[in-house]
Amino acid sequence: MSIVTVQLGQCGNQIGFEVFDALFSDSHCPQKFCSKRENEAYQASCKERFFSEEEDGVPVARAVLVDMEPKVINQTLSKAAHSGRWKYGQHSHLCQKQGSGNNWAYGYSVHGPRHEESIMNLIQKEVEKCDSLSGFFIVMSMAGGTGSGLGAFLTQNLQDQYSNSLKMNQIIWPYGTGEVIVQNYNSILTLSHLYRSSDALLVHENDAVHKICAKLMNIKQISFRDINQVLAHQLGSVFQPTYSGEGSFHYRRNPLGDLMEDLVPHPEFKMLGVRNIPQMSENSLAYSTFTWAGLLKHLRQMLISNAKMEEGIDWQVRPPLSGLPTLGKMPLSKELHFNTSIANLVILRGKDVHSADLGAFKDPALYTSWLEPVTAFNVWKTQRAFSKYEKSAALVSNSQSLVKPLDMIVGKAWNMFASKAYLHQYTKFGIEEEDFLDGFALLEQVIASYSNL
Amino acid sequence: MGRRRRRRVDPADAARALPEAIAVLTRTLPTGPSPETFRRAKFDRPEAAPALWRLLFCVLSPMPADGASPSLALEAQARSVKAALRFQGYPRRALAQLPDDGSQGGRELLLALAWLLARGPTLEQLLAQSRVRLGDEMPVCECESLASPGPAVPSVEADGCVDTRHLQWLMGKLRFRWRKLMASQQEQCALLGKIHSYTRGCHSDRSLGHLSVTETELLRDPEGGQQVRAGGTKVGLLQRLERENVRLEAALEWRRRELVFWQWMDTVLGACPPEASQPAFLPEIPAQGAAELELVVRELQALQEELQAAVEPRRAAWEARVGGHGPEWSASRRALQEAVRQDLVALQWAWERGGGLTQPHEPHRLVRTEAGAPEGRGLQATEVIEVLRSREACLEVVLGQLQGQCQQELARLVGTLPGLIWIPPPGR
Repeated sequence: MSIVTVQLGQCGNQIGFEVFDALFSDSHCPQKFCSKRENEAYQASCKERFFSEEEDGVPVARAVLVDMEPKVINQTLSKAAHSGRWKYGQHSHLCQKQGSGNNWAYGYSVHGPRHEESIMNLIQKEVEKCDSLSGFFIVMSMAGGTGSGLGAFLTQNLQDQYSNSLKMNQIIWPYGTGEVIVQNYNSILTLSHLYRSSDALLVHENDAVHKICAKLMNIKQISFRDINQVLAHQLGSVFQPTYSGEGSFHYRRNPLGDLMEDLVPHPEFKMLGVRNIPQMSENSLAYSTFTWAGLLKHLRQMLISNAKMEEGIDWQVRPPLSGLPTLGKMPLSKELHFNTSIANLVILRGKDVHSADLGAFKDPALYTSWLEPVTAFNVWKTQRAFSKYEKSAALVSNSQSLVKPLDMIVGKAWNMFASKAYLHQYTKFGIEEEDFLDGFALLEQVIASYSNL
Repeated sequence: MGRRRRRRVDPADAARALPEAIAVLTRTLPTGPSPETFRRAKFDRPEAAPALWRLLFCVLSPMPADGASPSLALEAQARSVKAALRFQGYPRRALAQLPDDGSQGGRELLLALAWLLARGPTLEQLLAQSRVRLGDEMPVCECESLASPGPAVPSVEADGCVDTRHLQWLMGKLRFRWRKLMASQQEQCALLGKIHSYTRGCHSDRSLGHLSVTETELLRDPEGGQQVRAGGTKVGLLQRLERENVRLEAALEWRRRELVFWQWMDTVLGACPPEASQPAFLPEIPAQGAAELELVVRELQALQEELQAAVEPRRAAWEARVGGHGPEWSASRRALQEAVRQDLVALQWAWERGGGLTQPHEPHRLVRTEAGAPEGRGLQATEVIEVLRSREACLEVVLGQLQGQCQQELARLVGTLPGLIWIPPPGR
């Protein structure tokens, strides 16, 4: 089953390119520990999901590119075409000549309606190329101008027109010390709109990925390209093929659907984060060996101590002992040490994957009281390694880890809103104070729900 | 004209005729005991009983299409056979009185088998049921799925509080599964469409025109294709077809030879002890069932009283409000009655239309025809779609009504709790 990706804005398009590139590279990476037949099945599954075939045999990414200025899209298109390995469809993009000056309201109220028909037509063409549609990825930034406002509008449209298909928004969480003054306003509006029309919000935090690049990948001068590649690696290790069940050697047909069913069935809890291990660069791999026990131990501690990196983990954080009364509402002034999960999905790829012991992830203390670990914890596996990583693990979790960043953004936005700073930019294009208030209310509710686990 | 020479029946042939006839019968049936078992059953030998219980179970219980029936214990099979025969109106009480453990009753079971074979096209029905289906089967109505309710759901006792978040979680999971199912079905349709269009012109039957998935598989891999569990082993399609052929040939032969079997059955009946004149055979309600039945009866009575109590004052109030006599009043009353009658007729028509397909309800083979080709036999997809759409519309209306009732009930409950503010979720 296929996934159609909509790449929005500068952020979305640059990341989208890296994602397709990572998927393609992984599926064509020579494999040492995998039978030829299995590798072919893996490649076929990946190809069907993310690429379509054209007459000249070069795979075409199932993607629609949208931006309000032409520069980034042209770069992206030519980068793909020049690689000779895969490319974007010739007519699968829409770009205009003007930007939107980081104005969310302009993106939502002007660009959206103006280009709605063209964009939906492009999407419809991509959908028709699929034998079956699993759903959509929408890659966008949360706080910028084009990506965020237009993305919110577009996701609503997809909800109306493809109500039975699944939608996952890949959201880029801005740097805490970002450059855009109104980024917090934009974030509030984006998140609150997406919460109503999307099925899942997979959040990628720039700050976290930046640290990974710096510490672990030993990159001296971190460019956006490095960040995007780490991000793409994470997404690839989640969505590349995995076996459909324990003891099965057939690849699952609908990973997006399975992921959503496992992690986000509750309408109030839609925020997902992804962690992966090992995080070192491919060059250093030759000098390291890993055991599943070691990888999983680190991954688990990353989860419960809310760390995004495998280095500098706080090993003091422990799950609360059972028998103690479960903590009720935690005031946010108190720092949340232990990260309670609602549901987790661990994805293991590589050698001896069936010997990996996941018992520690099934500890009920990790989870909220109203879900048993047997429901809350899921694992996907494949023997086929990801890229050159002999063993690798990824963790997608629906947990409290985004509460603090969200709370910070809401706080800052509220302070600005209280003094009515910069509101005219929004009201000028039809986003009224009420819309802001609705957004605040919804996000406060989300924060409260997550805090009350 | 010469004297017609009468064929002298060789006594050895006569002796063989019966066991051969029974052997043919066994080949026709899904699991056939040997002729020797039949002979022992006539004399009511206990060792014959279990095989015959099993045979009757296979004949009476509908076999699932893929042959994957869970194997029940003999006792369960025996009980099931008794219930099924009772349901069909089998008159002999002696069978119902046989012990459940399946250890006795060969003769009675033989009589039951003969009764089933005699009263209707049992063999033909069995053969039709277990037919190897070569086409892409598509259900055209919900009758089958409604008739078999599926595995029993364990009722969960909710002692204490239930976290509503858990319920919401489960509800959400259900919704996602539904959406995934829709995507899978679309995928199946797309792939079927591809196969049908790629194999256009390949089928020997012109009215079909193209191959089905099964047929394509059969051509691609005759030995290994379409493996299905049958009788504990995996069997390929070719083998299933061969087995079916054997059974069909046996069925034809049976029709030629069955006379000798019926003559023999007369002797079996004669061998039975005479049954005392029996009262009409009533089904018995098992003990626990009686208590539940009581409960249901009482609930129904209470409901009826409640309805009466509700109806009377409303009727009186309406009469009072509308009240009055005279030509104007009776004219408007007639108009009202006419309107109601028309509504009822429309409702009935919609229901019949919605449920009414002119063709039988069993699954149909999916065939793709070229646009403009003459209409073949069978249902048109557009017709089926229309029927399903009108059904869907009816169900949507009912859903809306139920949801409205639910909301009203919730609002009422909320009203009884002081200090509770209920914020309904934003509309979907």
